[in-house]
Amino acid sequence: MPTILITGASRGIGLESARQYAADGWTVLACCRTPDTASELKAIGGVSVHALDVTDIAAVDGFARSVNQPIDVLMNNAGQNMRPPRGLGDMDYAAWSDLFAVNTLAPFKMIEAFQDHLRRSDRKIVLNVSSVMGSIADTSGGHVAYRSTKAALNMVTKVLAGDLAGDGIIVFSIHPGWVRTDMGGPSAAISPEQSAAGMKKVVESAGAGASGRFFDWDGHTIAW
Amino acid sequence: MPSVFVTGANRGLGLEFVRQYSADGWRVFAACRAPGSADALSAIAAETDGRTTLHAIDVSDRAAVQRLALTIDEPIDLLINNAGQMESWDEGFGRIDYAKWEDLLRTNLFGPAWVSHAFASHIAKSDRRLIAMMTSGLGSITDNRLGGRNPPGKLYLYRSSKAALNMLVSKLSFDLKARGIAVMAMGPGHVQTDMGGPTAKLMPPESITAVRKVLADRSLEHTGRYFFYTGEEYPW
Repeated sequence: MPTILITGASRGIGLESARQYAADGWTVLACCRTPDTASELKAIGGVSVHALDVTDIAAVDGFARSVNQPIDVLMNNAGQNMRPPRGLGDMDYAAWSDLFAVNTLAPFKMIEAFQDHLRRSDRKIVLNVSSVMGSIADTSGGHVAYRSTKAALNMVTKVLAGDLAGDGIIVFSIHPGWVRTDMGGPSAAISPEQSAAGMKKVVESAGAGASGRFFDWDGHTIAW
Repeated sequence: MPSVFVTGANRGLGLEFVRQYSADGWRVFAACRAPGSADALSAIAAETDGRTTLHAIDVSDRAAVQRLALTIDEPIDLLINNAGQMESWDEGFGRIDYAKWEDLLRTNLFGPAWVSHAFASHIAKSDRRLIAMMTSGLGSITDNRLGGRNPPGKLYLYRSSKAALNMLVSKLSFDLKARGIAVMAMGPGHVQTDMGGPTAKLMPPESITAVRKVLADRSLEHTGRYFFYTGEEYPW
């Protein structure tokens, strides 16, 4: 059975993805910052739960060394938004910098740390959970900090796709939809179940042609 | 005479901007980290009867940027956020320095944000009201021509900072529209500078002559967009 590694798995889309892959019989390595309080994640049968702060470079390296099995799918799902969103006039730049650490640098570090696990696997897929708000072509205002971290993540996706093509590793960005989670809020358009199921389908059908692209949760292409 | 404020003015493209705008008789604010040792810049300024002045600025120091803005009491027609950094070509996948990545974002993204915010009122008082962010063709996610195995360096830090800067251009254009200020991203082409290296096909005078021509032709209707030195619109 294939193996998936999911970051930010304690709630929302990460939690639901862990549930769905586990139900399909996959081996699921689920990471979150504080497993002690991740009761819903721990309640899923067959999921191994790991404490990991993805912004802790040394911890990511240590975790990668502790994992021996190949990783078929790396789901870089852990991410944050800035609450409340700020414009340049009242920007919290330390918070903006922290947001880059979580949303841009950490996914890259996970790929660096798990590159050998991916190479040894059958599927060799990385999905970077981005956002349509990271689309620069999307001409609406506001949320500059969050948007910039996701645009930077999309750039990372695109360059990595070229860099890792020779190893057969497929890397793409995906917008999970506007989902009813702590981040998306209660009035969002789709449920975590729909989002996770949609992204799972995109993963199932992803071949080499998917690498370096930006998909919606239902498989449609989004403009950079 | 119109006025221009240029960051990173001591060398490369910044120095060439200062040279050309000074020669055209503009009021030029030439800002760099260490004006005291900026000999080429000082030599240009010496020929301008005081129209070109040197200013110390470290764009990665927010408080210093704000202090400098308070010392200038003139309108600024054109702000050119030119100061920027790039990692070396051998710092690729598997050899990433994460602390450097954060520093580079500070200089290449927060710096332009700080300078733009600090000088917005100077720009709002001017006739042309234009902010140019010097990004790069390497900041285009769409046009990623250096993918693949060669050359080995992929410039993840630099490219991601410029994609983020392009996002800033897009969102800042909304914030500043009401004040009549246009913001755009400019790609100067691949130019022979310390950053561009000796094999680049363009020399600074050609690139900057072309960039100035494009900027002279841009106004609020072009805000939030990304142009190449040729005047072509560039894909994000």
